[in-house]
This record gives sequence, structure tokens and C-alpha cells, in this order.
Amino acid sequence: MLRFIVRRLFLLVPIILGLSILIFLWIRALPGGPTQALLGERATPASIAQIRHQLGLDKPIYEQYWAYVRTTAEGNLGVSISSRRPITTEIRERFPATVELAFSAMIFALFLGLPLGFFAAKRHGSTFDHLSLVGSLIGISIPIFFLAIILKYIFSVRLGWLPSIGRQDVLIDAQHPTGFYVLDGIVTFNWNAAWDATKHLILPAIALGSIPLAIIARITRASALDVQNEDYVRTARAKGMSPGIVDRRHVMRNALLPVVTIIGLQVGLLLGGAVLTETVFAIPGMGSWLAQAIFNRDYPVIQGGVLFLAIVFVFVNLIVDISYGFLNPRIRVS
Amino acid sequence: MGRKLKFGLVAALASLALVAAAGAALQGGAATTTLVFGASADPVILDGPLVSDGESLRPISLIFQGLVSLKPGSTVIVPQLATSWSTSKNGLNWTFNLRSGVKFSDGTAFNAKAVCFNFNRWYNFPGPLQTDAVTYYWNTVFQGFAHPAAGSPGPDKALYKGCKAVGSNTAVIQLTRKSGGFLGALGLSVFGIASPQALVQYKADAGTVTPDGVFQPTGTFGTQHPIGTGPYMLKSWKIGDKLVLVKNPTYWGNASSPNWSRSGKIDTLIFRAIPDNAARLQALQTGEITGYDNVAPQDIPTVRGSSSLRVVNRPPFNVAYVGINQAMPPMNNPLVRQAVAYGLDRAGVVNTFYGGRGQTTDQFLPPQLFGFAKKGVPQYPYNPDKAKALLQQAGLTLPVKIDFWFPTNVSRPYMPDPSRNFQAFQASLEKSGFKVTPHSAPWRPDYLGTVQSGGAQLFLLGWTGDWGDPSNFLNVHFGSETKQFGFNNPALFTLLQQADAETDLDKRTALYQAASIAVMKFLPVVPYVHSTPALAFKKNVKGFIASPVGLDPFWLATLGK
Amino acid sequence: MSIAEIEAQTFTLDTPTGGLWHEAWRRLRHDRGAIVGFIFVCCFVGAAILAPVIAPYGPLDQNLALLANGCCPGPSSAHWFGVDQLGRDELSRILWGARYSLVIGVVAVTVGLSVGVTLGSIAGYFGGVIDNVIMRLMDIMLAIPGLLLAIGVVAVLGPGLFQIMIAVGVTSIPIFARLIRGSILSQREADFVLAARSVGVPRRTILGSHILPNSISPVIVQGTLALATAIIDVAGLAFLGLGDPDPSRPEWGAMLTNTNEYLQVAPFLAIIPGIAIVISALGFNLIGDALREALDPKLRGRA
Repeated sequence: MLRFIVRRLFLLVPIILGLSILIFLWIRALPGGPTQALLGERATPASIAQIRHQLGLDKPIYEQYWAYVRTTAEGNLGVSISSRRPITTEIRERFPATVELAFSAMIFALFLGLPLGFFAAKRHGSTFDHLSLVGSLIGISIPIFFLAIILKYIFSVRLGWLPSIGRQDVLIDAQHPTGFYVLDGIVTFNWNAAWDATKHLILPAIALGSIPLAIIARITRASALDVQNEDYVRTARAKGMSPGIVDRRHVMRNALLPVVTIIGLQVGLLLGGAVLTETVFAIPGMGSWLAQAIFNRDYPVIQGGVLFLAIVFVFVNLIVDISYGFLNPRIRVS
Repeated sequence: MGRKLKFGLVAALASLALVAAAGAALQGGAATTTLVFGASADPVILDGPLVSDGESLRPISLIFQGLVSLKPGSTVIVPQLATSWSTSKNGLNWTFNLRSGVKFSDGTAFNAKAVCFNFNRWYNFPGPLQTDAVTYYWNTVFQGFAHPAAGSPGPDKALYKGCKAVGSNTAVIQLTRKSGGFLGALGLSVFGIASPQALVQYKADAGTVTPDGVFQPTGTFGTQHPIGTGPYMLKSWKIGDKLVLVKNPTYWGNASSPNWSRSGKIDTLIFRAIPDNAARLQALQTGEITGYDNVAPQDIPTVRGSSSLRVVNRPPFNVAYVGINQAMPPMNNPLVRQAVAYGLDRAGVVNTFYGGRGQTTDQFLPPQLFGFAKKGVPQYPYNPDKAKALLQQAGLTLPVKIDFWFPTNVSRPYMPDPSRNFQAFQASLEKSGFKVTPHSAPWRPDYLGTVQSGGAQLFLLGWTGDWGDPSNFLNVHFGSETKQFGFNNPALFTLLQQADAETDLDKRTALYQAASIAVMKFLPVVPYVHSTPALAFKKNVKGFIASPVGLDPFWLATLGK
Repeated sequence: MSIAEIEAQTFTLDTPTGGLWHEAWRRLRHDRGAIVGFIFVCCFVGAAILAPVIAPYGPLDQNLALLANGCCPGPSSAHWFGVDQLGRDELSRILWGARYSLVIGVVAVTVGLSVGVTLGSIAGYFGGVIDNVIMRLMDIMLAIPGLLLAIGVVAVLGPGLFQIMIAVGVTSIPIFARLIRGSILSQREADFVLAARSVGVPRRTILGSHILPNSISPVIVQGTLALATAIIDVAGLAFLGLGDPDPSRPEWGAMLTNTNEYLQVAPFLAIIPGIAIVISALGFNLIGDALREALDPKLRGRA
């Protein structure tokens, strides 16, 4: 097991290295070059000369790369052009919001998707099965931001059931020790704040989780179908085991394996979808931050933010890989 | 499920519900009168001279005060921190008699020394802070720094010479030349007086210049301790979340004073940033905010039609125009510029897109401002055939190719939907012998940067006045050679400088009227509308007087039931 | 983007044998989902091709007089889908917009498919170091969430419809590469390959004449699904302001974005392009899905 983990960790290094090279080259490929990108409207001849010197743009490219790696490893990702604040500070403040949103979306997708998939597999060929298939296809055919706009319009503006923007009602005075607003409410025994934060998460989580929901439902269904027809399941049934126990002990457990692999890949979807969802619901997370940075041509932010998110993504996949190895002994040994 | 398990689950749920109910009851809280305002973005920093965007100026205008101010709802100059003023014979020395008994919100005294401290601070800003991008208004009004960095204007170009404190209640500001618009400019909240002690203690000027060339303030003055003399002070500011202002208990205006009577009962002001205009309206409808600015014309009927919302009009004080860069041929040819003017269906755009809130215009100055020429202004009604004839007269083959720029991701008070205006203009220009290539860029920094550095041949832009003087419209734009408009017209420059230096009101009016007509003959721009922007509030917000320059006196509004 | 890649990861198809296409076609004909999908796609492609003929008005013809009473007049007998904020007929714009969506989807998928299949074939064919390098490169590309990768590409290329197509295409390259490589690897050890090699058939011929044709089916399935995602992702990029600099072009994603401000007074202006996108994407998803079920040998015998 340990060897498996170590092997996986080793694979990480070239990927992260490759990522840093890619992003380093990217800034230099932008129209106007890195000086224009990093200075934006503040580009006077004096500041351009200064930044060329400070970035070492007259030095050979591998030296520049090494300087970039060094500063990044020290935790210095630069300063945002629009807000004039260190990018690491912004990430620290905004990342919990995105994590909270992505987590809620994933929970939504799992809580609805897993049962849907199982039942569709159980009632293979029935109308429910067909409807769930079509439903999941519709789910992945709707652009996230379109769904978000419609949900907001119906449930927030027209019906007034849920708030339309932000993470919390401004009139609530709440402490935020962890940065995850729902958790903060619980930890500080401020139930009003916790419930309010949850209300603010419902619509965005549904919009963001719509695609993972569809995918999880389909994969679960397909996987459960596979397992249902396996010999050991048929044997268990033939032995006279009650269908409920067969479902729980054999079908569900084994059908879950492919779903676990999927979760890691979903994180990438969620991070990308968060950009659109957070923009529609004005949630101050990393997604809307990157979207604003695109509008403002705030390239230091895009550079730092994308690098950070990619590394997060890689680590999440690593964890998923390892847990899959736990669950499926065959992978460990191969 | 096992019985024990079921029971345990029910018990857990019940206790959770009980605690939730208790918690909700406890959250009653003290009653404060709070107004939640939906801004379009977070402020950049709460330090007046370092900003020029409306969202930063909104809280700044409530925290800091200048020597003079504008009467609520108008552009008439009224005393504020200065009770009276006079100019020397040669017009170079302005003596301000300061209000006594005023304290900053940190308890230190406001006096002449504080005034000069602030002015000299701005004059002595170091290199990184001298660009237009940071100190736009100082550059525009006072035009120079004591220690100019490479490329910045120095004391020889500056309007500002120095400041002298005479006793504790008199400050004398020395200029290098006569200026009629100087007093009006002092009403800008960027020139609000900050507490010198706070400026020093919280290191307002401390900062590093990052490798990226960005000035990063390291002091906490502009983020946590902006100390001024205004009716409000900062309680907390979490970027991306909310900015909270509370009543300043030692505000001098709390005592009776005709212009500043605190009949207002708003003691807490919360600003939250909602970038999307449609989202702001929706937040107002759901009750998440109490008001917002820049209501889109198509949403006005929705707000009016709602029984719980109301519209507050902002007095029109802006102009929207199609700008022309004469450094890019064939725009240097006056016949071509006239063809552009005849080729724009300005009346069509104004009558259809502004929801009845736009006034088609024939000149750059808004009618509310003195200097507006009531007659003699050349007219350019929409006439595609005439436009084509002019182009042929200029010796060009039709269609004439032009590059037309418009901003994305923004809604301006004079131009609620830039892309919509653009598409209508594009269509009418193409009927008039032009071939339009569209270019767009996000408003800040790319669009403004491109336009201001002269990269756009034709562009959509506008202007909301900063103070009630025609120099703020005409001199700022056409008083000297600029990259944005790319022309050198010494006759026009002289006329405008003459007009600005003139202090007699009648003569000044006549000169500016002549200048306004001259601008429309020369056509560096084609103005098309003066619009009436609007704010939307919940119906229980009363007494809100919107300012034409966009700096609204929140302290005068009251929150009813 | 990830839906296609997720499917690619979970379902690796076994080597199809001769009777596959026959059976697949038979199953498809009876699959209701496939039929509905086919109808949707036909409507979509039909609209795209016939737009100049069947559209009642030009997509760029403004008529400001229609907006005399504000924005915007809804569906009427003269304008079946109503009129947009510049007085243009919405139905005509939707029909012409189908062209953009079709071209966008096809170009994006072509880019992704051609580059991806080439890279994957090289990796699978040569194996060893080349395989490692190419696959690590693909891993790096996959490490960046799809939308962000597309944004990065557009930032370099500049905004524009063509640039968006390339960007969206680029994001699907690693998916195709992995797919083809997986297929090649699983076939390399197959008996018929060993037999051919033992007779002396050169590797290149084996690849070209045997392995690749057998890998077509998953690629076709993937291509269809990628087409659906391309249509949606381009709309997302337009929403973020990275679309065509010419706002009058009737591209569905841009239409959706530009009418967001009119949601309260003229919701149909946003809803109609949105539904158009959903229907087109759904059509391709239905077909791709049905194709996969039809071609998946595991499902054979379980009708």
C-alpha cells in the first residue's frame, strides 16, 4: 500500500512542474507580453523599464523561470492589479467560499444521483429508467449559467423563497472563524447565521451540481446494471438472501467503485462551473474572482489563481486515486 | 432500522429543532436604522486622492469633507469646512476662513495646519503615485507634483504653488495662475481633508512597489482607519463581503446648521458589491438591498410598477458622445467628421433606448450648466445621403472603412447598454457610406486605456460632471492636445483657456457659449444625449436627494416604516 | 468537457467484431432516444443550412420603430418569436444562429479529434518514452479545469469566434488522445495482431488497416458527445465576455448574454436562445448516448 502511495506521489512532481512551465510560458505568450499584462493601465515608460528589470526580462529564459519558481515556492504569487492586494491573501479569503459551494454541489449530486441511479438500474427498462436517462441527458445539455439565471429568477425573484446573491445576509452579524459560513454558524452556535448561509447555498449548489448529478446518476446506473448481472449476485439471490440485503451488501458496495473515480474528475467540472455560478449569484469565491480578472485583464490574478486551482485539482485526484486503491485491491497490486 | 436507532434519531432531530428555535429568538438584536446599498464594485481604497472611480468615492464622500461642497441636488457651491473665502487681487492667493470647533472622528482638531498638511501631502506624492491611473484628479486640477518622476509634470506646470496656515482658522492656498474652476474642484471628495495624525499613525503613504509596478499600500489608513470630519465613519470593511459605515457621533453638523440638519435617521450604511446590474435589481426586489444606483431604462417601469419600490431621479448632468480621434486618417478631414455626424441616427437611439429619460442634444454642455448656447449651434440631423455626399466631396471611395470601439461589461449613467447604442450607430453609419469594424474591450482597464492613449478611431464614451462649471466639461476634454482626440487646434485651446481664466460670470458665460459653438463646428466629438440617471429604493426610503455629480447625501435620507 | 472524458475513462470498449455495425444499426433504429435525438439534430442542421431561405427577415435588420413602446414586443403574427432590443426578428436570428453553433461545434471537435487522435496514436504506437511524454503532457492539460484552460487559450489568441472554437477544441484533445491510446493498447496484445506480426505485416499497416478502424466507434461516440459540450462551452465563454467582438452577430451564446439585462421585461429574449442551445446539445447527446449503447458489446444480449 505504501509503495502505491509513494508511486502516485512521484507522478505528481512532473505534473506540477509541467503546470508551472505551462503557466510561465502562458504569461509570456499573451498579446503585449508580460509587461503589458502585469502593468495594465499603469504602463508608463518608466514603470515598464522598471518591471523589465525586476522581472529580469533581459535575462535568459531559464533564469526567469527559476526566479518564478523560487518566488512561487516562497508563497509569493504577486499582487492583483485591480485590488492592489497580495494574491495569496485573496486566495485565502475566497477559496473557502468556492470549496463550500463545490462541496454542497457534490453533496446535492450524490444525495440525488446515487439513489436515482440505483433505482433506475433496479427497474431496468421501466419508464422510470427511461425518464432518468433522458433527465440526465437534459441535465448535461443545459448551460450552467442559463440554469442559474432561471433558478434565480423563479425561486428568488418571483417566489421569494431563497436569496439571490452572496453568502450571507448583510444584516446578520456573524463571526467567521473558519471561512466556511455554514460551519462558522454551527461552531459559534449562531443558528440563524448557519441557516442563512445554507439558504444562500441552495440555488447555487443546485445549478452547479446539475451536471455532476446527471453524470453520477448515469454512472451509478450503468455500474449497478453491471454488478446486478454478475454471477456472485445471482448466486446470492439463488441462495435465498433477501433482495434488500443483496442490494446493500453486494450491489451497492461494488457499484460504488466507478463512482469514486468519477468524483475526482468532477472536481475539475465543479471548479470550472464555479466560475459561471459564482458570477450569476455574486458569490465572492475564486470563480467570480477569476471571472472579474478576465474582464479586468488582471493577469497576475489569472496566473496565480489557475496555478493554485490546478494544484488543488491534482491533489484531489491523488487522494481519490489512493482511496480507490484502498477500495479496490486489484489496483494496488497491478 | 433498529428501534434504538430510530428513537435516537428522533431525539436528535427534536433537540436540534429546539435549539434552532431558541437561537432564532435570541437573534432579535437591537433596532438600528440600516440602509443596505448595492454598489457595482468594492471601493479600491478609502483614501480620496488615490482614487477616481465612483464606487470608491461614494463612501469617501461620506467620511471625508472638502473645504466647500455642493448644495444637495445641485451644483451650487456652498461652504463646508470653509465658511467663507476670498481671492487676492491677482487671483493667485485664495484665503479660506475655516469653520471652528470641528474635530476629526479620532478626536484631533481640524485646523489650518491640517488643511495644509493634506494639500502638501498630495503635492508631494512620490513617483509611483503620480500616474493618472492613481491620482487622476490631482493631475487634472493641479497638474503637477513637487518631485516629479520621469514623465510626470513638475512644479513648473503645476497650478498649485503652496499652502500657508495663518493662525488656526485661516488657510491660504497659493496658485501659479488664475483659475475660475479651482473653487468648484475643491468640492470634490477626493480633496477631502483627512486627519493628519491618522495619516501619519496609520502610514497612509507607506507602501511597496511590487515587481509588477503596482503600488501596494502597507499602511492601514485607507483600509481600516480613514479618519475624516464627515457625518459617517468606517466601522468595518471586508472586501467582497460588505463595507459598514456608522454615524460619526462627533460630527460637527449634528449641531444645527441649515444645510446639514440631521433630520436623517440612517445610522448604519452597508455597501455590498453586486457587479451585475440585473442582479442588483433582483436583490432589491427580494429585499436583500435597500437601494442601488444606475437603474437601467428598461427596468424603470418594473420599479415604478412595484408597490414596494420607488425611483429617485438624478438631475441630469452628463453627456454621451461618439468620440473621434483625428490622429487617425481620414478623421483629420472635417468633411469626414461632418459625414459621421450626419450619419449617426442620434435621435433614433435617444428616443428608443433611453425610455424617455434622455434628451437629444446638439452640444457637449448639458443645458443645466451656464455656458450652454441656446442658439447658433450647428445642427447635424440624421441624413445618410448628405453623409455620403460629404464623403465623396472629400474625395474618398465608398464605403469608407472605420474602426469603432465600445466598452463591454459596464453600464454607465449616460450609456446604460453600450453594445445596444453601438449596434444602432453601426447600422446607421453603414447606411451612410461607412464600413464599420467593431472593437470592444472591458471597461477598466483595457477600454479606457485604449481610448485614452489614442488607440481608438471612433469610440463611445461620455462624461458625468464633477463640479458645476463648464471648464469641467470643455477644458478637461478640449483645452489642450490629448492623445484621446488627437488634434491640435490652438484657436480652440486659447479660447478655452481664456474662458477658464475669466472670473466675471457674465463674461465667462459668453465665452463658454462661444466655445461650445466652436466645438460643434470643429466636431472633435458628436454628442448625442444628456440622460437622467436614476436610483431605485425601497418605498420606505424618504428624502433622498440625488446629486447631479453622483455624490449623494445619504445623511439627509430617512428610513420610514 | 469532462462528461466525454469521464465516459472515456469508465467505458473502454472491447474490440468490436464484424457483426457489430449491423447489430448497432438495428438497435439504433428501435431506440426512441436515438430517434428523438436524430429529429433534434435534423432540425438544428436544417435550420443552419436553410436559414437564408426560410428566415422571414435578415438577422441584422434593425427596426427601431417597433420599440416605440419600450423593449420589447413579444411573439406576434408578424414576428413569431418576438423582436429583440434592437428591433430585429428573433426567429430569424435563431435560425441564422444555428449556423454559428454548428460551425463552432464542428470546428472545435475537428480540432480536438484530429490532434488528439494523432497524439494518442503516436503514443500508443511507439510506446516507451514517447508514450510517457505525450501522456504526461495530456495529464498536465487535464490538470487545469476545462473552462480555465479554454480561457487561457483565448487570452493568448485574443477574443473572437474562431479563437473560441480553437480554445474549446484544445480542451478536448487529451480526451481523444487517451481514448485512442487506450484502444490501441488494448488491441496490441490481441491475437489477430500477434498473428499479423508473426506473418511479417509491418506495424504501420497493422495500425492503419486493423487497429485504427476498430477504434472508430468510441471516437465517433466521443465526437458526438464532444459536439454537444462544445456548443455549451462556447456559450459559457461568450457569457464571460470572450466571444465575438461584433455584438450584432446572432450567435446563441452571445444572444443569451446580451439579453440578461432585459430578463425582467422581455424574458423570452434570453429563454429562447437558451432553449435552442439545450435542444441542439440534447440532440447530439441523445444520439451519442444511443450510439454508445448500441456499440457497447457488454450490453449486447441484454436488450
